[in-house]
Amino acid sequence: MRFNVYQVSRKGGRQKNEDRMGYCYTRSAGLFALADGMGGHPEGEVASQLALQTLAAMFQRDAKPVLNDPIRFLQEAVLAGHHQLLRYATDRGLMDTPRTTIVACVLQGKAAYWAHCGDSRLYLVRGDKLVARTRDHSYTELHGALAQSGQPLPADLHRFNRNVLFTCLGSPGKPVVDTAGPLQLQPGDRVMLCSDGLWGSIGDPTIVQMLADRPISDAVPELAEQALRQAGAKSDNVTVLAVEWEGAEPQDNPQAVSTRSLGDEVFASTIQASLAAGEAQGDELDDAEIERSIREINEAIKRSSQKKP
Amino acid sequence: MSKPKPAPLPAGTVVGGYTVVKKLAAGGFGVVYLAEDGERHNVAVKEYLPASLAERSPGELTPRVKPEKQPLYRLGLKSFFEEGRSLAQISHPSVVSVLNFFRENETVYMVMNYLQGDTLQDFIVTARDLKRDKVFRESTIRSLFDEILRGLRIVHQHKMLHLDIKPANVFITNDNKAVMLDFGAAREVLSKEGNFIRPMYTPGFAAPEMYRRDGTLGPWTDIYAIGACIYACMQGYPPNDAPQRIEKDRLALSLSRLRNVYSDNLIEVTEWCMSLDPLSRPQSVFALQKELARETERRYTKLSFSERMKLQFESLKAGAKT
Repeated sequence: MRFNVYQVSRKGGRQKNEDRMGYCYTRSAGLFALADGMGGHPEGEVASQLALQTLAAMFQRDAKPVLNDPIRFLQEAVLAGHHQLLRYATDRGLMDTPRTTIVACVLQGKAAYWAHCGDSRLYLVRGDKLVARTRDHSYTELHGALAQSGQPLPADLHRFNRNVLFTCLGSPGKPVVDTAGPLQLQPGDRVMLCSDGLWGSIGDPTIVQMLADRPISDAVPELAEQALRQAGAKSDNVTVLAVEWEGAEPQDNPQAVSTRSLGDEVFASTIQASLAAGEAQGDELDDAEIERSIREINEAIKRSSQKKP
Repeated sequence: MSKPKPAPLPAGTVVGGYTVVKKLAAGGFGVVYLAEDGERHNVAVKEYLPASLAERSPGELTPRVKPEKQPLYRLGLKSFFEEGRSLAQISHPSVVSVLNFFRENETVYMVMNYLQGDTLQDFIVTARDLKRDKVFRESTIRSLFDEILRGLRIVHQHKMLHLDIKPANVFITNDNKAVMLDFGAAREVLSKEGNFIRPMYTPGFAAPEMYRRDGTLGPWTDIYAIGACIYACMQGYPPNDAPQRIEKDRLALSLSRLRNVYSDNLIEVTEWCMSLDPLSRPQSVFALQKELARETERRYTKLSFSERMKLQFESLKAGAKT
């Protein structure tokens, strides 16, 4: 399998960035995931990190090197993340459980499978068309879905804050996990996962157009930048991960990740095993950033050597 | 593990305009070389070459990193940059200074002042082997830590913590200056929201909060390590590590062994720095400096008869265990 991936997470005007993202892959399957830890409950960043770690650990255990049943895997791994959160809260005697949304996508063979809980979204773009998008587990989107299907709206629906989620991982009831797939992929298809910080300030048409027009390494940072600018000083954190699927068979694109070089048993991951390492995965170092770091350090050296008496 | 260590650059290799003279040290992060710059001045060059992630055969320049190890390799690179960034901002005689930072051979290099001398650890080991009742003289300890604390104060002023202060990271140059080394663990933490990579710690010198995921690190964390270093300078050995102390704290007891050898004040300051509760320690380097400088007249208190008995029991018990 061959794919391009680009991810970025930026802190908005919030105190903490509780968004987490990452991907891992074996020779024949890839898992991409994003979680948005919820404010108003304790340790949102722990919640998102734990959920991703659980997912990655189960992927490592089960993808040998393919998953037997990707949909079932996603269902179980997302629920396992939920149980980890409950256990975490019990172990520490927390009054309330850390909570998070999650969206995860498996690419395997020539197909995509995904699952989500909450309002972190998946977009699948082919050419310039939006092929699929997850429906948020919020009252707003529930309202929209019910209205579309012609079903009667519950009389008390207006009493709910429309942006409130009715499910997430770590909540007292069993979380609602929606799954979809297999969806047959075509080379060039783009899958994007994002937190509400992105779609809250940028409409679907812009998102789709950006993904259609530009390489993901360009579209992803640009979308994040636009979202932050739109939302201004009070912006939510914006996290975006996009994958461009190039095909099941390797081709000669030196930019893309090829899983061919991996042995049967090998597993690669950007999701850190340790909770404490949470921050580091937020931004991977690329060449431009390495150059920037070196430049910054040399400028600092120059500044402080000038200060020398 | 049969994996061979990556080969160091051979003498004579030129990187970034510096000519390698010899390898000085190698650690998990990479290799430090003695090198000469264009004007034939000695410098120390630190090469990022994590032994567990990179491979290099003798004679090669560019390390190879397997694709599955790339994410970790890049992560390590980040802390290498972090160290460079920390050091670059600080210009102080007690903090090793970085002169240049460059990329070559698909890895990165940090050029630092080349220091001649030995680490405080070497001095402690040499001194304690003389088996005198004092490892160092009290005035030596006071002036040494006065210098170190001046440097540490600057580090903290830059919103950084060292987080791995220990005798092996304090260098005493041949012209008798104390210089802090190895800011590999240093993190710009005071300005962040506490969600950062927890560094590795050295048992004995690491404060109890370093062992806890939710522990709040601050200047008091470095101050604990300073206390442990003073302890090692008096005792010749590092103190018990924090988890051991939490289980059964013998610090006061082992410090009482030093009574009448070192002044009450120095012993009290050490105990203060090493309080298990972060809030009970000096909260800033300045507070500690003040206390260390407030040396009017040294008082020495002999052990009472019962204290001597207690010490003897303790050493009998300790002897029986080993």
